[in-house]
Amino acid sequence: MKKVLALMLCFALTIGCLTGCGKAPAGEEAPAEGQNETTEEQEGAQAPENEDPGVELDMSKTVKIGVLVSDSTTAESLAFQSYYKDYIASNYNVELVYSDELTDAAGEKSAIDTFITNNCKAVISFSSFDRMAQLEQCAGAGIYYAVATGTLTDDEYAQVKDNEYYVGAIGPSLEIEFQTGYDMAKYYLDQGKTRFAIFGGAIPYYTEMHIYRAAGMLTAMVEAGGGDYQGASDKDAIIGKLFETASIETGSIGSVEILGYVGGYDMDDAWFAKCGQMAQTEGLEVILAVGNGSDFFGSSIAGTDVKIASVDAYATAYGEAMEGGMLDYLAGKFSASIGPIFIATYSATLGAPIRTEDGCALALSQGYWVATSAEQFNEFYAVDSSTEAPAYTKNMLDTLLGTDYATFEAFVSKYSFEEIQTMQ
Amino acid sequence: MKKGKKITTKILGIATIPTVTFIIMIILCAVNGVKLFETTGNWIAFFRAVTSVMLTTFALSINLNSGRFDFSIGSISLLSSIISSTICIKAGLTTPFMLSVSLISGIVLGALSGLVYVLIKLPPIIVSLGIALFYEGLSFAITNGYGVSFVANAELISFPSVAHYLEVIIIALCVIIILFDYTRFGYNYRALLSGQKVSVNMGIKEIPNAIGCYAIAGGLMGIVGFISATNTGNIQMALNFGSIGVMFTAFLPMFIGGFIGRFCNERIGYVLGAVTTALISLMYARLDVDSSVQQIVTALILVGFLIYLNNENKLKVLLIGKRGLHK
Amino acid sequence: MMRKQNFKQQVINLTPFMGLLLLFAVFMVLGTIKDINVAYGMKTIVNQSIVVAIIATGAVFIYTLGSFDISLGASAAVSALTGGMAYNATGNLFVAFLVCIGLAVMISLFNSILASVFNLPVFVTTIAMLSVLNALVLVLIRLNGTGDEIAVPSAAVKPLDTIGFKLVVLIVYWCLCAFVFCFTKIGRKQKLLGGNPICAKLTGISDKKMAIIAFAMAGIGVGLGAFVSIVYAPTLTRNTASSVGMDVIIAIVFGGMPVSGGARSKIQSAVIGAFSMTFLSQIMTILNLNSGIGQMVKAAIFLLVVFVATFNQRNKMLPR
Repeated sequence: MKKVLALMLCFALTIGCLTGCGKAPAGEEAPAEGQNETTEEQEGAQAPENEDPGVELDMSKTVKIGVLVSDSTTAESLAFQSYYKDYIASNYNVELVYSDELTDAAGEKSAIDTFITNNCKAVISFSSFDRMAQLEQCAGAGIYYAVATGTLTDDEYAQVKDNEYYVGAIGPSLEIEFQTGYDMAKYYLDQGKTRFAIFGGAIPYYTEMHIYRAAGMLTAMVEAGGGDYQGASDKDAIIGKLFETASIETGSIGSVEILGYVGGYDMDDAWFAKCGQMAQTEGLEVILAVGNGSDFFGSSIAGTDVKIASVDAYATAYGEAMEGGMLDYLAGKFSASIGPIFIATYSATLGAPIRTEDGCALALSQGYWVATSAEQFNEFYAVDSSTEAPAYTKNMLDTLLGTDYATFEAFVSKYSFEEIQTMQ
Repeated sequence: MKKGKKITTKILGIATIPTVTFIIMIILCAVNGVKLFETTGNWIAFFRAVTSVMLTTFALSINLNSGRFDFSIGSISLLSSIISSTICIKAGLTTPFMLSVSLISGIVLGALSGLVYVLIKLPPIIVSLGIALFYEGLSFAITNGYGVSFVANAELISFPSVAHYLEVIIIALCVIIILFDYTRFGYNYRALLSGQKVSVNMGIKEIPNAIGCYAIAGGLMGIVGFISATNTGNIQMALNFGSIGVMFTAFLPMFIGGFIGRFCNERIGYVLGAVTTALISLMYARLDVDSSVQQIVTALILVGFLIYLNNENKLKVLLIGKRGLHK
Repeated sequence: MMRKQNFKQQVINLTPFMGLLLLFAVFMVLGTIKDINVAYGMKTIVNQSIVVAIIATGAVFIYTLGSFDISLGASAAVSALTGGMAYNATGNLFVAFLVCIGLAVMISLFNSILASVFNLPVFVTTIAMLSVLNALVLVLIRLNGTGDEIAVPSAAVKPLDTIGFKLVVLIVYWCLCAFVFCFTKIGRKQKLLGGNPICAKLTGISDKKMAIIAFAMAGIGVGLGAFVSIVYAPTLTRNTASSVGMDVIIAIVFGGMPVSGGARSKIQSAVIGAFSMTFLSQIMTILNLNSGIGQMVKAAIFLLVVFVATFNQRNKMLPR
C-alpha cells in the first residue's frame, strides 16, 4: 500500500509538473483573448490583421483540423465522414482528427481539449449540444471554429459574429428545415393524398430541426386542409405548439387527417410495435418522416400502397429502398455540402479568413437535394458518393481559398444538383 | 384428493401471473377504448416480443444461474446478425439460410467468448465487458459503421409472422429442455450449478461445460439478432456498450420464470415470463405510453416482484399468521 | 524462495500502476513524435478522468463488498440536472453543490436500504434503479421547460472550472476514502465481508450496516462527480454522464480491483484505472484509429492488463 501510494504520489507530481509548466497554450486558464500565451505552433493560427485574398497561400505545412462527430453510425454522418476522409484529406495538405461519437456538452468540451492537445489549428463541428461553449473554448485556445451542416440562431450569431476565431456556419437554417417539411407534405397534398402518419424522430427530445420540419409538414396540411392544428393555424403558432408538447397529436386538420404519430428512438419491443401499428393503420396513404423513415417503417409497408418520405442523406440503403418501393421521397443532404465550410476553415488557418463585407463570420444557408424516383436518386447518388469527382471537386473548392465574401456566398447559394453540375 | 389439490396448485402457479397480467392489460386497454389485439400487426408484434425476450432470457439465465454474468450477449446478437445478413445479401441466400448462419455465427462467437473466459480465467463479468467492446468494434469495422440494410429485400424481410415466431419458440424450447434436462451436458451443468467444487472434484469437466454454455447462449442470441434484423430489414450499429441494453429486457421474465419454474419446468416458466412482459409491451404500444413512464412502471414491477419473491414467507406470516404457515 | 515469491507478488500488485506508467510513457513518446502539446494534454487527461475517478473511488466501497452498482452514471446525471435546476432557482452555486451531494447520497441510500430491508440482490435493485433514474432524467428536463437542456450560466461555474479545483476535490475525497478504507474498522470490516461473508457475519459484522455505509460513501462520490460535471460542462442534457456508469466499472477493474471484492480490494484502483483509460483513449486519438478498430484495441488492452494484474488470483476452478 505504502509503495503504491508513494508511486502514485510520484506520478501525481509528474503530472503536476507537466500541467503546471512547459508550453502552456491558451487554455481554460488563459486570458479570453488567448493570444499572449499561444504556442509557437498556434501562432500560425492567429488571425492576421491585414488579409489579402489575392496573396498566394502557403499550403506546404500539414494543417491539423479537429472534427466533432455527433453520430458515428447514421448514413448522413458517415457520408460526411467519407467525403472528408476519402476526398478532402487526400486532396489537401490536412490531417483530420475525429472525435468519438459525442452525446453531450461534456463530450464536446473533452473532444476539443483533445484537439487542442493534438495541436489542431481549427475545429469543424457537427455536434450541437452547446455551440457557444465550443466556440468560447476554441477562441480561448486561439484556434478557429466552424459549424458544419447547421446554423446558429439569430441571437447566437449576433453574439459571436465579430469573434475573429469564429469562421461561421454553413448548413440548413431552421427556415430551410421548415421549408423541407413543408415541401415534403405539399408534394403529397398536391397529389390529393389526405391521410398521413408522421414519424417525429427526436421531437420528444426537443431537437429543433425535427420540430421545424414537422411544423412545416403541419403548416402545409393546415393550408391544404383548411383547418387548424390544435388551435394553431400559422407557422409560428404551430412551432410554439410543438415546442410546448414535444409531440404531435393525431386527428383531423380540416380535410386532412393525421392517422398516426410515433416519436423517439426507443428501439424496444413497445416502440417497434408502435411503429408497426402506425405503418399498418387502415387507410393510411403516406408516412412523413422528419428523419430516416424507411429503416423503421419500410418492412411494415412492403406490398402496400403506403408511401414513405424521409429526410436524411444519400446512402446505398435508400437507393435500394427507393427501388423496392419502401421510400418514395428523399430530401437528402449531399455529402460534399460540407466542402465550403472546410475551405473557409482551412483558408482561415492559412491566414486568409473569409468574412462578410462587415468583417463578420459566415452565416450561409444550404438546402437539400430532393429525389422522388429511383432514377433521380441514382443520378444524385453517383455524384454524391464519388471519390474521384464528387459534387464539389478540388478544382471548384480551390476557387474559394482566400476568396472574397461575394464569390463565396454565390458559390454556396447554388446548391441544387443542377446548379452544381453547371458549375462543374 | 391430495393429488387433485397438487395439480390445482400447479396450474394456479403456472397460469396466475400471465393470466392476471393479460386480464389487467385487457382492462387497461378497454378503459382507454382500444383492444389489446386488434390487428394482425399486433399479434405479430406480440409474438416477436415473446420470441426475442424468451431467447434472451434463456441466453442470460444459462450463464447467470451458474454465477456467470454476461454483458456480451447483446454484442453477439449484433455481430452474428451482421455476419449472416452480409453473407446472405452477397450470396443471394434465403431466410432459412440467414437464420442458420445467424445461429452458427452466434454459436461460434459465444464459444469464442467462453474460450477466452476459460483461457484467461478472469471473472466472467470482466471477460464479458471486454468481449462486448470487441464484438461491437468488430461489427462497426466490418460494415464501416453503416450497419446492414436489406429493407428492399422482399425475401429476407418476409420472416415476421405469427407462425414463424411460434415455430422458433417451440423448437428453441424443445432443444433447450432436451439439452439441459436430458443430456449428460445438462446433467453436468446442473451439478456444477449446485456445487462447483464438489462437481469438479468428482471429475466433471467444467471447462467444456462452460464453453458449451457460452456457445448455446451465443446461438440463442444469434437467433435474437436474426429476429431483430428481419423485423425492420436493417441493423443499426452500437458502440461503447450500446449493445448491453438487450440484456436488461431479460431480467423481469427471468425472475417471473424462476417463480413459475417452481410449478413446472423452469424453461417453460421463462416462456411464460416472456409472454407476461410481451403483454405489457403491447399494452404500452396500444396505449401509446410515454417511454419514461414505461421505464418507471417496468422497474417498479421488477422491484415489486423481487420484494415478493424474497419476502414470501414474511408476507405469508403477515397475511395468514404463523400458524397458517405451518399448517 | 519466499523472497522471490514476495517479489513476484509485489510486481503483480503493481501491474495496474505499471500499466498506467507504460501508457503515460507511450503517450509521451507518441506525443513527441506526433508533435502534440503535452502540457495541455496533461490538463486534458485530468479533465477527462476526474469525474470517473471521483465516482469510481466511492464505488470501490461497494465493490469491496462483492456488490455491484450499475446505476451510478444515471444517479450522477439526475444529481447534476437537479443541481443545475437548484442553481437556476437560487443563483447560488453552493446550494447546487449541496443538492448534488444530498440527492446522490439519498439515491444511493435508497438503493442500499431497499436491498437491505427487502433482502433484494443489490445488482438487480440497481438495474431497476437505472431504469427509474434514466426516466427521471427525461422528466426533469421536461419539468424544467427549457427545451432539451438544463443550462447553468457558464460564467457562474467558470471560476471553479480549473484543474486546481478539480484536483483538490479528487484529492480530498480520495484521502477521505483512503482513510476510511485503510485506517478504520469500516474498511477492514468491508474487506472481510466481501472476502468471507459467513465468517464476517459470525464475527458480528452487520452486512446491512456495512452496505449502507458503502453506498453512502459512493453517494458522496457520485454527488461530487455530478457537481464537477456541472462545473466542466454546464449545459446538461438527457445524455449527461450517460457513459459514466460503464466507465466506472471499466476503470475500477482496469485499476486492478477484484470484482469479487474482499481483502485484495484497493482504494487506489479507481484513480489508476480512470487515468489509464483516458491515456489509452488519447493514444487512440493520436493514432487516429477509427471507432471500430479503436474499440477493439481498447478491449484487447483492457483484458490484457486485467489478466496480468490478477495473475496471482487464479485457482483450479473457473472464477464466477
